[in-house]
Amino acid sequence: MSGSLEFPGAPTARPLSRKIRDAANGVDFNRFRFWLQVGFFILLVYGGFAGIDLGGRLPTFSCVYNGEGRPGMCYLAPLQHQLAMPWQRLFGEAGIAVLTGFGVFFLWFIVLNKGWCGFVCPLGTIQDWITAVRRRLGMRFARYSDATFERLSWIKYLLLALMLLIPLGIGAGYVSHDMSAPYCMICPARLIVPSFAGDFRQWVVDFSSPSKLALTSLGALTTGTFLIGSTVKKRFWCFFCPMSAFHYLLSKPAAFRLVKDGGKCTRCGDCYGVCDLQIKEIADDVKNPQIMMDDCIVCLKCVAACPEDGALKATFAGLTVFESTEAGFIKRMEKGATT
Amino acid sequence: MNGPFKPAKPILAAAAPAPASTVVAKSNEPLPFGKTKQAREAEKALNHIVDDFDDNPKAMAYFYDLFRRVYCRGESIERDGALIGTTCIQAPEELVYALGATPVRLCNGSYHYDQIGAEFMPAKSCSLVKATLGMLTSEDPVPRIGKMNLVVNPTTCDQKKKASALMQEMGHEVFDLELPNVKESEASRVYWRRSVREFAEALRKVTGKRLTRKNLKAALARTQRAEKAFRVMDGFRKASPSVFLGKDAFLVVNAYFFDDLDRWCEAVEMLNVELQQRHDTAVRAAQKKAPRIVFTGSPPIFPNLKLPLLIERAGGVVVSDETCSANRMLYDMTAVDEWLVNDMVDSLADKYLKPCTCPIFTKNDDRRRRLLELVSKFQADGVVYQAFAGCQVYEMEQRSVARTLNDAGIPMLYVETDYSPDDEGQLSTRVEAFLESIKTRKRMRQ
Repeated sequence: MSGSLEFPGAPTARPLSRKIRDAANGVDFNRFRFWLQVGFFILLVYGGFAGIDLGGRLPTFSCVYNGEGRPGMCYLAPLQHQLAMPWQRLFGEAGIAVLTGFGVFFLWFIVLNKGWCGFVCPLGTIQDWITAVRRRLGMRFARYSDATFERLSWIKYLLLALMLLIPLGIGAGYVSHDMSAPYCMICPARLIVPSFAGDFRQWVVDFSSPSKLALTSLGALTTGTFLIGSTVKKRFWCFFCPMSAFHYLLSKPAAFRLVKDGGKCTRCGDCYGVCDLQIKEIADDVKNPQIMMDDCIVCLKCVAACPEDGALKATFAGLTVFESTEAGFIKRMEKGATT
Repeated sequence: MNGPFKPAKPILAAAAPAPASTVVAKSNEPLPFGKTKQAREAEKALNHIVDDFDDNPKAMAYFYDLFRRVYCRGESIERDGALIGTTCIQAPEELVYALGATPVRLCNGSYHYDQIGAEFMPAKSCSLVKATLGMLTSEDPVPRIGKMNLVVNPTTCDQKKKASALMQEMGHEVFDLELPNVKESEASRVYWRRSVREFAEALRKVTGKRLTRKNLKAALARTQRAEKAFRVMDGFRKASPSVFLGKDAFLVVNAYFFDDLDRWCEAVEMLNVELQQRHDTAVRAAQKKAPRIVFTGSPPIFPNLKLPLLIERAGGVVVSDETCSANRMLYDMTAVDEWLVNDMVDSLADKYLKPCTCPIFTKNDDRRRRLLELVSKFQADGVVYQAFAGCQVYEMEQRSVARTLNDAGIPMLYVETDYSPDDEGQLSTRVEAFLESIKTRKRMRQ
């Protein structure tokens, strides 16, 4: 019997809604996600050439340095610029503009939650491509030990804090203007994303001032680390990304959610095994239904790798859009083992 | 061959036992196999399994026949490559298959061997371990699987751990597969993954073959097929009224211990086709009001299906189980992210450790949660908990499991027993009373 799974109790004539749901849950998820990511990558790296303008408040790395190609801006760039305003303006009339900007960013964000990371972010997609190349070459991947994981996991919060405090310091006059947009300067996306649109102008070290020298050197270093790190560690940069930390702090009211039914979980660890970010709670925590942890990128690989009906699911505004099923799991793993 | 299909590999007859009727047993000659105590024990159990119930699925004939040939007639089983005996479910069989060898599970359910094995063990020991040792010390053990190249002994409970040295003394090559006592910690995961790699290395020495991406993937595909067939069969047990009885489910999975993998898969797939038909045509294997039981605890292994049989002969149905001779052995499936040797081996290692609800681990939260989930998924009315006398870990977990079930309002019957048939009368009274109380409860609720 190599064909379809005949699951007991399944009525022979299924209603259309059930058919659609079964098809969605049985999808070859990795392939689906790959093409979705390709689509978003094209939109966010080349969309500008087609005249698309999504504004400057996007909750993902639609890199501002990708001048012509970007269809909108990663919110971190304008945010850092706004926070660097003189305090009198920032805490005066301009404050309203800053708040509305944040509001727009927040509205974008709550639609997809951290799904922005797992499906949309071009830098995330590039890391997945590097992973695919490594896999093709038959190279194994590295994992952090638990202790290392713990030691590294606060870095994203530190970067987030610095990203907010340094511009505020500029506005107050304590810090040089050469330090503006400090995170952008060290973000690997600044060098890598424009390169995909043929723009290599960011691949320079700026000697014009000590601060710029320091930041652009650091940027070159992080980019080098990014390229090497991603070939040995899945989603290497996401672990340090301040946008990821920022997302997590705002994620409570998000519409798109990763939900776990602990009662159905056998703690087999299949989900942990496929998790690019090594999140243990996804397998071990059987109490908390809101299982999206701070490192999570909501890539939903865990849902696709869960063999228990309904133990993990992705919901949108309370409606289940994708859930773990026995049949879907078996289909996906059979394909993996036989191709 | 009474089975509904041609087997991939025929079971070869061993040293052609003459038909019992033509043999006149002389006092100095060994009895023909069919007349031995163990063959009679198996025959009796099988007759109960087959004849005490009307309307067994036709596809079960393959399994009835298999057990009759192997246990009652002592026929031997053809094998591919090196033969690797395993004493617990934690030995990753995919590694064995990948290297062209065949695993066979040695856990034994025979009272005959239990008595022989008693010689090696203290008085209050687990029947299963005694029977396994009894079988391993025998000259020509049944099932007749042939000479083993290696026995893999996962370091699970104390009795199995200590059995390792005894098996070595009997002349078996034993590999101690080091299993941690705690499964939640990261240290245990790392330790276990390393143990599994050492197991692969030991297998390489025995088989002279190396693990490759190709052979491991192929092995995973083969066990996947078995797990899928099992899950489909298991799914039919959700039906109420039942279309399939627990005694048959136990027998099917028991056959997996020693049967050829592909032939077993074919037979279960045939069974699943028939179960689907039964389901569609509303054939009932039990009465509508039959109490639905989840079986947990020490594993029923043929011929010791005593307790499940007592339940089903008394009008109950074992709709699911949480035992290492059935559900726990085949239910969990491996997820692999990158189909490369390293990731496959690590994923396999995780599958054999993380979801395991064996009581040898320090905590048993997963076992208790699993029981609650099984009761709800299979709409069970109660739980029967079997502990082999001398199986300390199951005996010790009884209290916590009873408390959890009690808190959830699920009745549980705790039965301490062993392989001896002596307590059948007493047990049947207890089982009947338990089932009766469940029926009363159900009536009261309505």
